[in-house]
Amino acid sequence: MSENQNPQTNQRTVTTTAEQPRTTTAGETDERTRDAWTAYDFDGDAKMTVEDLDVYYGDDHALKGVSMEIPERSVTALIGPSGCGKSTYLRCLNRMNDRIPSARIDGSVRFDGQEIYQDGVNLVELRKRVGMVFQSPNPFPKSIRENIAYGPQKHGDLDTGLLARLLNRSDAAERDELVERCLRDAALWDEVHDRLDDNALGLSGGQQQRLCIARCLSVDPEIILMDEPASALDPIATAKIEDLIADLAEEYTVVIVTHNMQQAARISDQTAVFLTGGELVEYGDTDRVFEDPHSERVEDYITGKFG
Amino acid sequence: MPRDRYQHSLDELRSDVLSMGETVTERLDESLEALERRDDALARAVIDGDAQVNETYLELEEQCVDLFALQQPVAGDLRFVTASFKIITELERIGDLAVNLANYALAARQTVTPDVEIDALGTAAHGLVERSLAAYETADAAACRAVAAADDEVDARCQHANEHVTRALIARTDDRWSVERLLDDVSRVLLTIRDLERVADHAVNIAARTLYMIESDPELLY
Repeated sequence: MSENQNPQTNQRTVTTTAEQPRTTTAGETDERTRDAWTAYDFDGDAKMTVEDLDVYYGDDHALKGVSMEIPERSVTALIGPSGCGKSTYLRCLNRMNDRIPSARIDGSVRFDGQEIYQDGVNLVELRKRVGMVFQSPNPFPKSIRENIAYGPQKHGDLDTGLLARLLNRSDAAERDELVERCLRDAALWDEVHDRLDDNALGLSGGQQQRLCIARCLSVDPEIILMDEPASALDPIATAKIEDLIADLAEEYTVVIVTHNMQQAARISDQTAVFLTGGELVEYGDTDRVFEDPHSERVEDYITGKFG
Repeated sequence: MPRDRYQHSLDELRSDVLSMGETVTERLDESLEALERRDDALARAVIDGDAQVNETYLELEEQCVDLFALQQPVAGDLRFVTASFKIITELERIGDLAVNLANYALAARQTVTPDVEIDALGTAAHGLVERSLAAYETADAAACRAVAAADDEVDARCQHANEHVTRALIARTDDRWSVERLLDDVSRVLLTIRDLERVADHAVNIAARTLYMIESDPELLY
């Protein structure tokens, strides 16, 4: 880490001198100002704590020294222009970047106080507790019921099938209960309860996305990461997903990447703004960020003066 | 710069608010002149002109609502549109007060009006309106605070003038004929003082909204 810190510090100084911080007094360093912009003081506990996170894809320094705490049972929106590193950041939270061979990750990500970037972490277990929903709905080409039951069966939370039945351990009733609960939680039950054995690919895009959310819920996650979950949907389907996200935040910690700033403003409790170069420039209560951003670059970005 | 049309709409709103401000300060100026010179024609022109101020107000209100609905302004832009939305209401009220003053001018007779500094109070209140609009135009936070501070002095002068007028009335209680003659004038002068004080208060409100616009600082709002 120490080798990376010097160039990183220089870079921060260079990038922030271009703007005139409104909150600085003479003599205060830009770096301190920036830290103040991203230091988010919230009530309650942090579900995830990220410290000095750097991500490199080969020579590309995609995320630079990002530190932020994610409050539990709330919606955290990550916004910023294309290539700012917000999706990269999201994917660090359940180690999805491990799947990219050229990716190198420095820094610390703690989930309920436990470091997830250390040897011996069970990635399957991690990704069960930190679920993910992607931009395009990606249901399995199976029935609606099987889409929900697949994860719990795979993780051994449910026993079905021939062997289970022979051993008199079939949990079919429990499975149906789980399917109903997840579909209800994903606000899809009323639309599909009479066709649970139909192929999921026959659902509309918005229904498919809610099915993916239901599937994510079926393994009982604590955090749900969403990467542009509504960008491929029409306004009505989008509105349903947005309402659903608000409901989910009562029980889960939701982190959502979105290109749609109004969507971030509508649905999130706190907003983190990443700008080109992989920096987290500002992080705070969503209403504060959208009414009174402290960084002029953030102001210019969210008012559409650049980007 | 991206969002050119949006930027254009914001610029247009700013210049339209300032233009409404100019019209209203002119009306106020004319009403003060009508009061001073007992100029009935000028007073009637102010009264007739109020319909236009109200029309402009409605047009600007629509511009703000359109910006909210269609462009969803955020950050500094949001504070600018919100402040403008409130400032046009203040301007419309100042227009109404100018109409009140013009009506007092029409009602005034050349009688024994108590001798108070109506002209000077009018000039002070008018000056605050101009200064608050200049602060809005140039986004000058210090000027906003200065307007609020100056209003305290206007308030004190208005209170002093009220007392002076009331005392003049009491001093004549021994002369019934004189009291009868004075009563109309006294109540009208008291109303005039109250309305000038209100003009200054609206100027402070404009400064307060402007300060919120510039610094997101609500300190002057209440």
